[in-house]
Amino acid sequence: MSIKYTIDGVEVIAEDGETILSSATRAGVEIPTLCFAENTAIYGACGVCVVEVEGVPKLLRSCSAKPMEGYVVHTDTPRVIRARKTAFELLLSDHTGDCRGPCKLHCPAGTDCQKYVNEIKDGKYFEAVSTVYEAFPLPASIGRVCPHPCEDACRRQLVEEPISIAFLKAFAADKVLASDNRYKIETGADTGKKVAIIGGGPAGLTAAYKLREYGHAVTIFDQQPKMGGMLRYGIPEYRLPKAVLDDEISIIADAGVAMKNNCKLGRDIQFDELVKTYDAVLVAIGAWTSVPMRVAGEDLPGVIGGIDFLGKLGLGETPTIGKRVAVCGGGNTAMDACRTAIRLGAEEVYVVYRRTRNEMPAADIEIEEAEEEGVIFKFLTNPIEITQDGDALNMKLQIMELGEPDASGRRSPVPVEGKTEDIKLDNVIMAIGQVANCAGVDGVELTKKGTILCDEMTFRTNIENVFAAGDVTNKGAGIAIAAIGEASKAAFCINNFLDGAEVRYKAPYFVETEKTAEDFEDREKIDRAEMPGLSPEERKNNFKPIYFGFSEEQAKKEASRCLECGCHDYYDCRLIKYANWYDVEPAKFPGMKHHRDFIEIADVIEHNPDKCVLCGLCYRTCEEVAKKTFIGLYNRGFNTTINPMFPKAEAAAYCATCGKCVDACPTGAMRKKF
Amino acid sequence: MKIVVGEGSCGLAAGAGKVHAKLDELFAAANPSGSVVTITSCIGMCFLEPIVDLYDGDALVRRLVHVTDADAQKIYDAVNSNDLSLVDDITITAEDASFLEQQTRIALRNCGIINPMSIDEYIARGGYEALKKILTTGMTQDDVINEIDKSGLKGRGGAGFSTAFKWRAAKSSEGEEKYLICNADEGDPGAFMDRAVIEGDPHTLIEGMLIGAYAIGAKEAIVYVRAEYPLAIVRLENAIKDATDRGFLGDNILGSNFSCKMRIKAGAGAFVCGEETALIESLEGKRGMPRLKPPFPAQSGFWFKPSNINNVETYANVAWIIANGGDAFAAMGTAESKGTKVFALTGKIKRGGLVEIPMGKTLREVIYDIGGGIRNDKEFKAVQLGGPSGGCIPASLLDTVIDYKALGATGAIMGSGGMVVMDETTCMVGMAKFFLDFTAKESCGKCVHCRIGTKRMLEILGRIVDGEGEEGDIEKLEELCNAIKDGALCGLGQTAPNPVLTTIRYFRPEMEAHISEKRCPAGECVKLITYSIDESKCIGCSLCAKKCPANAISGEVKSPFKIDADKCIKCGNCKTVCRQGAIIVK
Amino acid sequence: MGCCCNDKASDLSLLEPVLEHYKGINGSLIAILQQAQEIYGYLPVDVIYHIAEETGVAPAKVMGVATFYTQFRLKPVGKYLIMLCQGTACHVNGSELIAAAIKDELGIVDGETTDDGLFSLKHVACLGCCSLSPVMMINGETYGSLTPDKTKTILRELREKAGAES
Repeated sequence: MSIKYTIDGVEVIAEDGETILSSATRAGVEIPTLCFAENTAIYGACGVCVVEVEGVPKLLRSCSAKPMEGYVVHTDTPRVIRARKTAFELLLSDHTGDCRGPCKLHCPAGTDCQKYVNEIKDGKYFEAVSTVYEAFPLPASIGRVCPHPCEDACRRQLVEEPISIAFLKAFAADKVLASDNRYKIETGADTGKKVAIIGGGPAGLTAAYKLREYGHAVTIFDQQPKMGGMLRYGIPEYRLPKAVLDDEISIIADAGVAMKNNCKLGRDIQFDELVKTYDAVLVAIGAWTSVPMRVAGEDLPGVIGGIDFLGKLGLGETPTIGKRVAVCGGGNTAMDACRTAIRLGAEEVYVVYRRTRNEMPAADIEIEEAEEEGVIFKFLTNPIEITQDGDALNMKLQIMELGEPDASGRRSPVPVEGKTEDIKLDNVIMAIGQVANCAGVDGVELTKKGTILCDEMTFRTNIENVFAAGDVTNKGAGIAIAAIGEASKAAFCINNFLDGAEVRYKAPYFVETEKTAEDFEDREKIDRAEMPGLSPEERKNNFKPIYFGFSEEQAKKEASRCLECGCHDYYDCRLIKYANWYDVEPAKFPGMKHHRDFIEIADVIEHNPDKCVLCGLCYRTCEEVAKKTFIGLYNRGFNTTINPMFPKAEAAAYCATCGKCVDACPTGAMRKKF
Repeated sequence: MKIVVGEGSCGLAAGAGKVHAKLDELFAAANPSGSVVTITSCIGMCFLEPIVDLYDGDALVRRLVHVTDADAQKIYDAVNSNDLSLVDDITITAEDASFLEQQTRIALRNCGIINPMSIDEYIARGGYEALKKILTTGMTQDDVINEIDKSGLKGRGGAGFSTAFKWRAAKSSEGEEKYLICNADEGDPGAFMDRAVIEGDPHTLIEGMLIGAYAIGAKEAIVYVRAEYPLAIVRLENAIKDATDRGFLGDNILGSNFSCKMRIKAGAGAFVCGEETALIESLEGKRGMPRLKPPFPAQSGFWFKPSNINNVETYANVAWIIANGGDAFAAMGTAESKGTKVFALTGKIKRGGLVEIPMGKTLREVIYDIGGGIRNDKEFKAVQLGGPSGGCIPASLLDTVIDYKALGATGAIMGSGGMVVMDETTCMVGMAKFFLDFTAKESCGKCVHCRIGTKRMLEILGRIVDGEGEEGDIEKLEELCNAIKDGALCGLGQTAPNPVLTTIRYFRPEMEAHISEKRCPAGECVKLITYSIDESKCIGCSLCAKKCPANAISGEVKSPFKIDADKCIKCGNCKTVCRQGAIIVK
Repeated sequence: MGCCCNDKASDLSLLEPVLEHYKGINGSLIAILQQAQEIYGYLPVDVIYHIAEETGVAPAKVMGVATFYTQFRLKPVGKYLIMLCQGTACHVNGSELIAAAIKDELGIVDGETTDDGLFSLKHVACLGCCSLSPVMMINGETYGSLTPDKTKTILRELREKAGAES
């Protein structure tokens, strides 16, 4: 006899003997459960399937409770939510692991580095590239230039050195670009909405790509003759060949993104027009103005902005510079500028930096290579005056020393009283930073710095349908991948906005742990792959790409160094799914956490007790489905674990190595070893 | 004359065995009066153990208390010379005797009176008459259940569920094979009612169970006894054997069609097995992890057959009810709760022991009139009922009547009968932590809320008593309590928050003092107190200094001593040994 | 794996009468383990495995039961097993001080055995002698109304007794 009842207002018909959970699931109402499976007996351990029934004083476990005619069941009352949420919070309070590896968590764009590194290990290059595209387009370009926060976070350095993640990405992307099977963007069904993006740099391109995936019509307006922004006009050819960038932009264009170049805001297009004509506007114009040094003489001819200098090359022009050049600043733009100056024939190239090498924000490899190419670093010096000295310039440098650490933790340089030095120069290149120029972005509220003020979780400005992302927002200029990350989230928010949904982007919750070198003591040390490239002599007189890229063998070997920190079961893990579903506060119930060794279940199966939620599905499946009873519960209470029988020698008689326990596990606690 | 030595576990622990041996030795050597030395079990006056009763025929002529083996000679002389004044000094006082006089004993009616190893003594006091009645007067199963229904008997294990209802459900469940189970896994820390019944009157249990087995149609009865009760197991085993030999157990009992066998299953140390479905799992030889209900044991219990489970005290009332009628039982107690209830009265009480009183008496009557009030005349602070599933009731509610509903309304529960009295020196936060520590250790680990939730609650309480509590901890505890009540799988988990919730409800200021002022008002939390010496009281005897394990006390003999707070490990030895009361704990 | 503390083979023949007695009786695992512990003093790993084999209960299940109940021990215990009551009445009347005294005298805490193998300490649930609290039970004998001093005296006497015996 079937029974009719409602759950969250949905009418459900339960067959005779059917539980609330089963009948609701059939009717499309999802009730979370960790310990229930159709092929094993009802167990009732996890308690997250509880529901509230009108007129029934206790919450019912829907995995076992059978509905009665006319039951009015709710799955979303405050009481149900509290009971479920607390269960997840309690489980997470004793759950140790890494849902995602530090590489992914530290990538501002959230790229699943571990995944593509492992795909590269397996020779699955197209899959690897597809993995990158899940986060952003432009893998070949970004792979070459990214300062890779992923590698800084990579735990392999606890063994010896981080995985060469960025170059691996470039390797896979190059492979696929060169193949017949290039990556093609899948666009969503047309929504009828249109979005204008101002600025075709990494942020604008990423947003355009994402918005096309959502199915919106996208037009990018850019003031330069070609798309690419700073990737084209800020990064020299020897680091990022523009042919690669062109290739990758063409993939975005192929997805139906309209690209309008030579469109300058306020000149060729009017901001308020765009705001009116388009459903949404994303401002991603970057930060293109070199920060002035505020020293006397900086307006003298021969003193040029780093961005202007590099930009000329991007336009295909060759800026004229003299034999003696000083570049002021310690960031990557400074490195690009000094190395470009060398390539343009300058004989004496200085980098003037007021702190020491340790504090330089530029990537180590850039500094090293610049040194190899003959750049002279003048650390602990600060320009205080530039004067014309005949045809030449004279720059007076204040000698500095390091004082107390500042807010950023870097030790602040302080002048050494009375100590200065003069250097004779033909040109001075200012590369101490870039700021946004928001002229033409009318009506949008700006920060004190002159950047666009936008909400960090919605990317919205003060104008309802105007969003902003990348270097032009809030804190100002940063690295490309950060702008990409913002753009991707902004696209998500814009999509929500266009859908009429809650706009806000919410960072998903991940379980994370701290590891130390001790945790990896048993690992064999394997050298990080060395990128083959031109020698300093071969490269300093030209703009040829300095790296050749990894060989396939090199790439695979490098990828195999990955420690696979992120949980193998992330995509199927029900615990993390529900944890995010219920917006858990995992730090709410801090307390003792277990740290136990892995347990070898059989030769091919291992158990990580620190990820186990004790749903019992593994041992119950072993007993009830596989009919083996090889594993069982061990100890009790807080210290309960899953354990195989013993002694191991007899394992074969009991374990079929069928892997059903692994399949049954709702988290990553059980895994096959190979 | 009959010399009866009280040999319950508590009497034996207090030295009754030695007294008995000495008496045996004396009377075996020469016994001019032809007296016999025999035993009985606990009369409930544990505070007076060892107890020796002198009977003339059936009449109790003297009750001797705090008897030592050195007193044996005196007893021997008194008995043989028939001059009982020789034992005046060890005779119970009238005041102490009133402990028993204020009770109404049904479940305990034979305890401390008969020899639990003698079926004849049980029969002599009307034993097995109730069984005879149902089997020989044509009482049907329903008649029996109706009689129990009339009595209003509710489960004495704690939850207070109608016994007749359970029996009826088990009786009406389909199936030939049914089981009747006795839950003697008495695990509440601070409760020993069931042990006393089994040790003192095992046949009462057997008879009650047989009546139950008859009522539901079970042919097998099992007693699940805690592993820590070896003496109870020995006496019950003996009783089962005797009852079988006399035809009260086995096939065609008393010539009827009713057959039932009985066996004992010893637990192995798991409090959760007091939960009926966990108990069933344990009976089946498995880990004692609760099953989901429904189905209830009445439908699907032991080996998935209809089973009825009651606790010892419940069964101990059954024969009396059948013999005297349900109405007689229902005449006692309140509208809501009928009959009597046995309590194990312990803690900071003058006269601790087992008491059986009619429902409806107030807590005050039990604690002050029967228990004689607080030891050392300190201030009453709270009484804990229901152990780890119950709560602490404060002084302001001392006039609460003992009845399921009234006690439930306080946030505590009737429980199985543990009644632990606390005075002003007991820290209520410490008590809450004590119970959580217990539940966390005893959690089977199956469900999330209990396995991790009780652990987290314990950790928070641990921080609070260590002076590391934070603002918001009480709210966090409340939140956990509510979620655990809703989410835990079995009764153990669902009631685990009760001790904490009642502490918050009645002793919130004390909890707050720990958190905000880092102060333990009861002076018990080691990390929050300091020991010092009251110079005006110290006579410089140096005893404290000699007993201090940390060498933290120094001074000149005959002048006041001092405690070095840095060295003091707060063990309390000094306070224990000081005869002047000069040790100050703050 | 929480077992195996000695590789010494146990004399499994001692167990035969027990296995014989319970042969074919379902649900006897706990009783068998209890009697095995009576025989061997604890549950050696080979004994557990033998029980699994003979009863047909999967080893994982036997181990699960052996580690669930507090009565079972997977390690040998000392000559004297001190069971210190953790009941409410004992707690209220100072069982923590007794635990401290035992630690002071023997240097062991709950679950540990002295190096000389003489004493093991186990905290146990209420022993039910609440009116004698605090209470401990050593090899079946109950000691009530303990004070730290009295506890130490008892332990010293036992140690002397053991010394005299050996």
